[in-house]
Amino acid sequence: MSARADTVGAHGDSLWSKAFRKFRHDRVGMWSLAVVLAYAIVALGVVLGVWATDWAEVSGPKWSPASVEYWFGTNIIGQDIFARSLYSTRTAFEVGLLVALGATALGALLGAIAGFFSGTWIDELIIWVMGVLDSVPFILLVAAIAYTLQGSPWAMHIAMISTFWIGTARLIRGEVIKLKSLEYVEAAQAIGVNRLMIIFRHILPNTFHILLVQATLSFVAAIKSEVILSFLGLGVKDGMSWGLMISESTFEVLAGFFNNFLAASVLMFGLVMAFNMFSDALQDALDPRTVK
Amino acid sequence: MNPTPESSDSVLLQVRDLKKYFPVRGGWFRGVQQQLKAVDGISFALHSGRTLGLVGESGCGKSTLGRALLNLHPPTAGDVLLDGLPLAGLSRQALFARRRDMQIIFQDPFASLSPRRTVAQIVREPLDVHRLGTQRERRRRVEELLGVVGLRSNALNRYPHEFSGGQRQRIGIARALALKPRFIVADEPVSALDVSVQSQVLNLIGKLQAELGIAFLFISHDLAVIRHISDEVAVMYLGKFVEHAPAEKIFAAPKHPYTKALLSSIPVPDPANKSPRMVLEGDVPSPMNPPAGCPFHPRCPIATERCRIEVPALRESQTDSEHVVGCYLAT
Repeated sequence: MSARADTVGAHGDSLWSKAFRKFRHDRVGMWSLAVVLAYAIVALGVVLGVWATDWAEVSGPKWSPASVEYWFGTNIIGQDIFARSLYSTRTAFEVGLLVALGATALGALLGAIAGFFSGTWIDELIIWVMGVLDSVPFILLVAAIAYTLQGSPWAMHIAMISTFWIGTARLIRGEVIKLKSLEYVEAAQAIGVNRLMIIFRHILPNTFHILLVQATLSFVAAIKSEVILSFLGLGVKDGMSWGLMISESTFEVLAGFFNNFLAASVLMFGLVMAFNMFSDALQDALDPRTVK
Repeated sequence: MNPTPESSDSVLLQVRDLKKYFPVRGGWFRGVQQQLKAVDGISFALHSGRTLGLVGESGCGKSTLGRALLNLHPPTAGDVLLDGLPLAGLSRQALFARRRDMQIIFQDPFASLSPRRTVAQIVREPLDVHRLGTQRERRRRVEELLGVVGLRSNALNRYPHEFSGGQRQRIGIARALALKPRFIVADEPVSALDVSVQSQVLNLIGKLQAELGIAFLFISHDLAVIRHISDEVAVMYLGKFVEHAPAEKIFAAPKHPYTKALLSSIPVPDPANKSPRMVLEGDVPSPMNPPAGCPFHPRCPIATERCRIEVPALRESQTDSEHVVGCYLAT
């Protein structure tokens, strides 16, 4: 063990550089990262106005099949499905990132506070809030929030964050209850580290692997929920998304034209799948206890 | 009452009738149903530079006593005086300042260091929290501490999982020493280590004590370790001290029947030695529902009617005022 430690850590590597090296040797992880990055570049290009600027223009004939001019064909009113798919990638990233960050941060914070003060009124209050939000059907909650926010484009994001944090918070609460009785937390108390610092410096960093998984799960869940909500008319208000594309395609599918539906579904599947595999690989790489 | 021999320096730690009860909740409205009496009326004094060895079976309250002394578990009742100043009822800031004088070393070297912090961060944290010295001085002090516990400075930027159990225990000791404490609770610091590594860590603790004059409360269930390191020994049973005396006296002539049974369990490496072993029947009773009278009477081979009714107080033995025992039948 010590001989091994002497060689492994001789250069004083940080945990991150070690995780990075481990990740680089994970072939599946690297491929899935490449796929996610490709999607991210597409999304970035849309944000910067490099491509898919004409997603809303009616430029071609109705239901044109895939061709050199229209790679994925055109939809029912002659808009370029390829451009719309690219633009939707940006929407997916926007929804996924915002919701994943918001829900994970909120879940980590409230879960850690509940866990650290478990058994007190603070814990009970947080558990009560989680129970109340959990008991409202998701779609109903989105509709209610959308109504209260007067159709704001952020209603969907807020609705997702306000429900997705609960799962994370429950997991973190349990983990914090476990961690706070460990001796290194007692050691910090003996030193005189204040409670906030104990939570944020000693306990939360050790739940990072859970937060990472929860963030990726929230990212994926947000993309999928966006599709359902947009399909129901509760989601994306202005802009384009895979959910809206699938919603549009209902008439087309009945008429035997599948391009719109397939483009949105396959692109969503690719991103969700790659992201899941990427998060698995990242998780393995970041766990300091797994040494391959 | 205090079995500490003539010592010129003053009492560092004075403990008076310390109690730590944990409420046990249950029932429909989660009311307090019972009290778990983990530490039940303990008094002793400890001089600087000396080691009090604390022995007892698992669950007798040894670790709780150690944590109650440091206010990690705030005591239910009683006083802990460090340098004559009480720790109970201090404001958060005042307690924070006192923490510099008292530290703790833990049993499990794999649970006592945060896996995501480097050795430098771990050992430096006490200095940062108490704002001791400049950045540069803190860095130098961390290197110095690692040297004291026998680790090379290339350990600084490494993570705990890269070290062996004994090395990790040294890191924990370096952290405990960072604030130059005068009193350290060592909660079974070698129980989780290999025998070969145990002696290294014990020698390190002994050396530090000799050089720095730190007083130790050394908790262990290993009598050989206790004998090796302690100046005086206290035997704990169900939250109470049952015997407290200088180490050589307690090992030479134990007076309480529980102590006698514990000591007879030490194997003697001599086949000619056929001294009878005293085997205790049964388990330690639940501290939630301790027996009436002497807590040891259900397992005691010599218990009388009186032991079943009255609780014996700790008293000086008839032959030796330094030897304190809590048994009616002991001489």
